[in-house]
Amino acid sequence: MSWHVHAETLARYARGTVDATQQFSVEAHLVSCGACRASIASFVDVRALERTWDVIEGETAAPPAGAIERLMVGFSIKEHIARLLAATPSLRRSWLLAIAAVLTLAVLVANGAPNGYVFFLAVAPLLPLAGIAAAYGPGIDPTYEIGLVAPMRSVGLLLIRAVAVLVSTIVLSTIAALFLPGFDWRILAWQLPSLGLVTGSLALSTIVHPLRAAIAVAATWLVGISAAAAIVSSPTPARAVFGGVMQLVLLIVTIGAGVFLVARREEFERGEHR
Amino acid sequence: MSNVTVERVVKRFGSTRALNGVSVEAGSGITGLLGPNGAGKTTLLRILATVMAPTAGEVAILGRNPASPRDRLEIRRRLGYMPQEPGFHRNFTAFEFVDYVAILKEMTNRRARHAEVKRVMHSVGLRDVEDRRIKALSGGMRRRVALAQALLGAPELLILDEPTAGLDPKQRLRFRETMSHLGEDRSILLSTHQTEDVAALCPRVIVMNHGTALFSGTPSELADVARGSVWLSAERAAEAHLSYRTGEGRYRNIGPAPANAELVDPTVEDGYLVLLGDEAIVEAA
Repeated sequence: MSWHVHAETLARYARGTVDATQQFSVEAHLVSCGACRASIASFVDVRALERTWDVIEGETAAPPAGAIERLMVGFSIKEHIARLLAATPSLRRSWLLAIAAVLTLAVLVANGAPNGYVFFLAVAPLLPLAGIAAAYGPGIDPTYEIGLVAPMRSVGLLLIRAVAVLVSTIVLSTIAALFLPGFDWRILAWQLPSLGLVTGSLALSTIVHPLRAAIAVAATWLVGISAAAAIVSSPTPARAVFGGVMQLVLLIVTIGAGVFLVARREEFERGEHR
Repeated sequence: MSNVTVERVVKRFGSTRALNGVSVEAGSGITGLLGPNGAGKTTLLRILATVMAPTAGEVAILGRNPASPRDRLEIRRRLGYMPQEPGFHRNFTAFEFVDYVAILKEMTNRRARHAEVKRVMHSVGLRDVEDRRIKALSGGMRRRVALAQALLGAPELLILDEPTAGLDPKQRLRFRETMSHLGEDRSILLSTHQTEDVAALCPRVIVMNHGTALFSGTPSELADVARGSVWLSAERAAEAHLSYRTGEGRYRNIGPAPANAELVDPTVEDGYLVLLGDEAIVEAA
């Protein structure tokens, strides 16, 4: 090969700013000239090219992902996280439909019964709790054992799933709350109870089976709410029971349980059937 | 060098002792774990796969102590495990399931991960069914999916709990081929009910019963346990521990010499039956 493409032309070709005739000429030459192929490499961002290939090969080498995973990726959730979430038993359609059914019932009660608000506010935080109890653990996750002995931290998988369950349930509950009588944004304060109950249950899961932990926390919650509702005599019992004192208590519980959970996270790796 | 060392290990579940002071060692290559149901094979393999900890005794895996969190993580990074009854997310396709496990095995780069998933699916002969849902696969295919996930990342130590259960003869042969390749450069511990698997695959065999190891050696050493007590005769031998009619019409007897009988070379199965005594014979009958 007696001639080589001018460096400046190569640079323009790499940027895509040459005209069609020049483009054909450069390409025809590149096919047969190793020296020019080597010199064009310096004008190209190889890492960007690698990333492009990653995407292309990732898309073409694998069978296409399911609808739920594609939806999650659409919400800019990373592809591998979406796959971990797709395996969550309590993110399946049947589970979400069950949650919607319970919320519908709670809304009907809130609209129909006296003090129905208290019922709604007592039930709503239990839904994410149930969802997380059904998201991870021996006898619940069919691949628990394989997941346990894989190097990814079990607590990581559990938290990823817990957040996803919490978010999906909160979205559904918020929609349900719009149908409550005399809707008021303050009603969304029940999200703190959700967080408190979930964190408490996860913390307790480091001692007992996650399902037992969830049942214990739910029972404590219901007993506490019933006791508080029995003690207060107020024309607006919902506001009295779910007022500032309870929110403060739950905030403390959330923080305390969170610290406990982080301190004891290694317990999830032991795998002993607690 | 031993990749797995188990010393006087006890495992209790409530009041039952699944393991009763078992001591075994396994080096590189394939080690077969043979024993009747309830012998403690699965419990031992689950301890070695870091699924649970022993009640008492010492365990070292790849030179590390699974009781220490840091060592346990290191073991898990170098381990592949196929449980006896692997669970699946049944709505996943075979590919998605293996890919899911690959993510749990810390492979986050999509291109490298998918290439690895393809490789293991191919090595167990599942390439053609990778986009079928798990719930639509046969039992034998599901076991191969479970095996494929254990092979991800070419782990140094493979722990396989009854990998040949539910495989048809052709699949079984294919499995043996896959295993013998893999066994060349890593440690494989597998449990089985099939003495033929052990004879065909395992340079070393451990026989377990009642939570302890009764025997550890080569398959021919196991066969030798029955040397001098296997006889072929025309009539059923009344004195034999076990006497059955073979395909050729003669009786194969294990026990004292019957009249007019021919002493024959024992098989691995004969050795296993003699080792377990009446218990194995009751189970076989």
